[in-house]
Amino acid sequence: MTARTEHQRPRVGVVKLASCDGCQLTLLDLEDQLLPILGRFDLIEFPEASSLRSHGPYDILLVEGSVSTAEQAAEVVDLRSRTRMLVTIGACATSGGIQALRNAADEPAWRASVYPEPQFISSLATATPIAEHVVVDAELRGCPIAPDQLLELLTALRVGRRPQLPVESVCQACKRAGNICVLVSDGIPCLGPVTQAGCGALCPAYGRGCYACFGPREEANVPSFHGWLSRDRAPGEADRLFAGFTGWAPNFREPATRAVVAIEEADDA
Amino acid sequence: MVTERFLPRADLDRLIAALAESGRTVIGPVVRDGAVAYAPIAAAADLPVGWTDVQAPGSYRLQRGGDRMFDIGPPAQGLKRYTFPSRSPLTVAERDADGGVRFTPAIPDPPRLAFLGVRACEIAGLLVQDRVLAEGPFVDEDYRARRDAALVVAVQCTRAGSTCFCASMGTGPEVTGGHDIVLTELDDGYVAASGSVEGDRILARLGLEAATAAQQADSAAGVASARTAQGRAVATEGLRDRLMDQLDSPRWAEIADRCLACSNCTMVCPTCFCTSVGMESDLDGATTKLERTWDSCFTGDFARVAGGNFRPRRQDRYRQWLTHKFATWVDQFGTSGCVGCGRCITWCPVGIDVREELSIIAPPYEAAPLTELPVIAGSPGAYVPATIRSVTPETADTSTLVIEPPDDALLATRPGQFVMVEQPGFPPLPISVSRVRDGALWLTIRAAGPATAAAIALPPGAQLGLRGPLGRGWPIERAVGRDVVIVAGGIGLAPVRPLIDAVLRDRRSFGRLVLAYGARTPADRLYVEELGAWPKLDLEVLEIVDRAGPDWLGRVGIVTQLLDQRDWRDRAASAFVVGPERMMQATVATLAAGGIPAERTFVSLERHMECGIGLCGHCQMGPFFICRDGPVFAVSELGDLFGREGI
Repeated sequence: MTARTEHQRPRVGVVKLASCDGCQLTLLDLEDQLLPILGRFDLIEFPEASSLRSHGPYDILLVEGSVSTAEQAAEVVDLRSRTRMLVTIGACATSGGIQALRNAADEPAWRASVYPEPQFISSLATATPIAEHVVVDAELRGCPIAPDQLLELLTALRVGRRPQLPVESVCQACKRAGNICVLVSDGIPCLGPVTQAGCGALCPAYGRGCYACFGPREEANVPSFHGWLSRDRAPGEADRLFAGFTGWAPNFREPATRAVVAIEEADDA
Repeated sequence: MVTERFLPRADLDRLIAALAESGRTVIGPVVRDGAVAYAPIAAAADLPVGWTDVQAPGSYRLQRGGDRMFDIGPPAQGLKRYTFPSRSPLTVAERDADGGVRFTPAIPDPPRLAFLGVRACEIAGLLVQDRVLAEGPFVDEDYRARRDAALVVAVQCTRAGSTCFCASMGTGPEVTGGHDIVLTELDDGYVAASGSVEGDRILARLGLEAATAAQQADSAAGVASARTAQGRAVATEGLRDRLMDQLDSPRWAEIADRCLACSNCTMVCPTCFCTSVGMESDLDGATTKLERTWDSCFTGDFARVAGGNFRPRRQDRYRQWLTHKFATWVDQFGTSGCVGCGRCITWCPVGIDVREELSIIAPPYEAAPLTELPVIAGSPGAYVPATIRSVTPETADTSTLVIEPPDDALLATRPGQFVMVEQPGFPPLPISVSRVRDGALWLTIRAAGPATAAAIALPPGAQLGLRGPLGRGWPIERAVGRDVVIVAGGIGLAPVRPLIDAVLRDRRSFGRLVLAYGARTPADRLYVEELGAWPKLDLEVLEIVDRAGPDWLGRVGIVTQLLDQRDWRDRAASAFVVGPERMMQATVATLAAGGIPAERTFVSLERHMECGIGLCGHCQMGPFFICRDGPVFAVSELGDLFGREGI
């Protein structure tokens, strides 16, 4: 950890673990804001955009992806030791991501079913969010993250205030936008009521149900909602709704696990 | 006697054209995405011709039926989005290179609208929001401008859905006011009557025949059938008190097992008005746009303050919503907050039915009297730039800013009142005024978070935005001729200092004066020099700290220990108490034991405040908005709300 004088721009890194790079791309997608950001932050590590490499130390480190290998587990501890403010970005980093569904599965059997030579695969049995390994200072949810939330986070860090990241439901943003509720008016399963806002209610605005890529909201009442969704659906259908990009988040883990186990049992049968 | 005319079905387009004249946009019900919603229309063909809806708890389905144009229930969302938009700008705050600030408040620019097909419950919703937002004590100018600019063409219901209960709430199905024109749909046209001069003018220009007796009878019969067809009723007699008697009902926890706290009920409610101030700033925080957005008492951040959340549990939030809607709304606005439209039932993702919950929670009782409040103009964006004269550290994390406002309005701040402080780049903060002296406001601010830390880091000469004075201060007049006991905990010494200044200025009007001050440690004591000087002015100062170091020769313990040997039973005394809520509860109990009654014990409460003028709803506690009705209350006013958790 180095002290930073007032005149220096904060040193920012963007790194990834097990993930698809989509969240990092959100930074590049800021387009109009990119030059102003580069004028105010010293982007010392961002393999997605630049071949210049650095090993920190970082004032701010944006970490994408989950911990899926032993190397990554060591790397994230090392990154933490060189970072003042560690921010996890995206569903993989904050809840484990789609790859964390394997956590509920019989991992050796699953590995053998996918790879012809499973002995060459050296991944961990689980894919886990960064916060299960090191202390995280802030998180941006989503698959991918929302550009306006990323900009708000950078602005807040620069100004020195708390970022304004809503903990409300997707429904609240959806109703503000004037959308018609797809669940109530059409019976389309939508996880908006238990999902944290931030996406601008993107899917319901296009007539689709929310699949909770921003993860469970504070105090999500999953047992009640799961029970309601199960009333006129086939057994297991409601479980599968939760087995998505944030299925390993603690609030969703129980139905998501049931869904994965049911799929394995069906495969075995 | 209102003249009833007949508008043939084919002439509805002539009415729409007449409404659209003079540049109005006509807003009516249309079919969109599987439901009926309000949207701009150009002709009668845009209306939901031949559609009807089936609404039930947690379910809405359109279906084909008949060929009428208005055979539908309440649309998915009400007209609120036109009269009280989900997002609207408040002001733009900018800081220049010299540290000055500039505010550019949004100027209301209402669209000229004509609402067509408005149901009785919908009009009732508008009238309830008029009471809340446009009839004082503070007025939302954007709302009032939008309401003034809109025409209302009502259509009385001739059918009712299973979630409708306007008849119970006394708001429909008959349209009895708040309209410019009212229609009742028959198979071949509409019975029409005007409700305003503008409505008269429009109907006169259409040159309609008078309605026949048969048409009038059909119209009345249709509306009567909408009354009898309503589903489950709500027993409203004495409902306010019945509900407030049930704050400890086990049903709240049972509802919370089902409730998702997702806010849908509040978003679709035509009367819910709670908002938050959102902000968006540029990367340097130099320019900040403040905007008002719909918020909800179900959201986790809604009642959160630096020290925690006043309503941490779902059951607290559901109880807040239901008791506000059906009980404390009556105390605040002289009307129920529910109009019986049933939207909260239909659009609840898990089908919670307020009618059922009310019937289980509540038994009959008398209604409470109402209070009239004056009308004061105000806006949550009306900040004025004020210049910092000096910044004086008080403790390691607390400083006093002496600030010169641009005019005398803020200097009229009374002891116990507060101001909203806005710095570009940060959300607004409610701050108690700790002194008014020499043309300046003194604000003692503890760095509890980034915004407060930034405020006390500003240099002399820099500017801040101020709005106020706000709230009800200490009722010093209630203590004249009596002993005065002032009890402060921690930073609570700041809001009582103007009270101390006032009683010392007029020392001979009071009996014995006692200040009991408790701080966490000796280093956390505010105004150390004054604590030493006040005894010379005949103010007895008692001090105690939670934890002491070797240098502290005074008492160690809690503030009630300073008072528990005192007896005021033979002396008329008034007490003023401010500090953490638990400290205030313990202090009030100690003072009561010493003979100071709840009527003469005043406390200053803290809540999450966003607007400061009772329009955003964050600081509600029972029948009160803390910002507007308080923050100072007599303990007797609060009754058993004082000290209750989750309220």
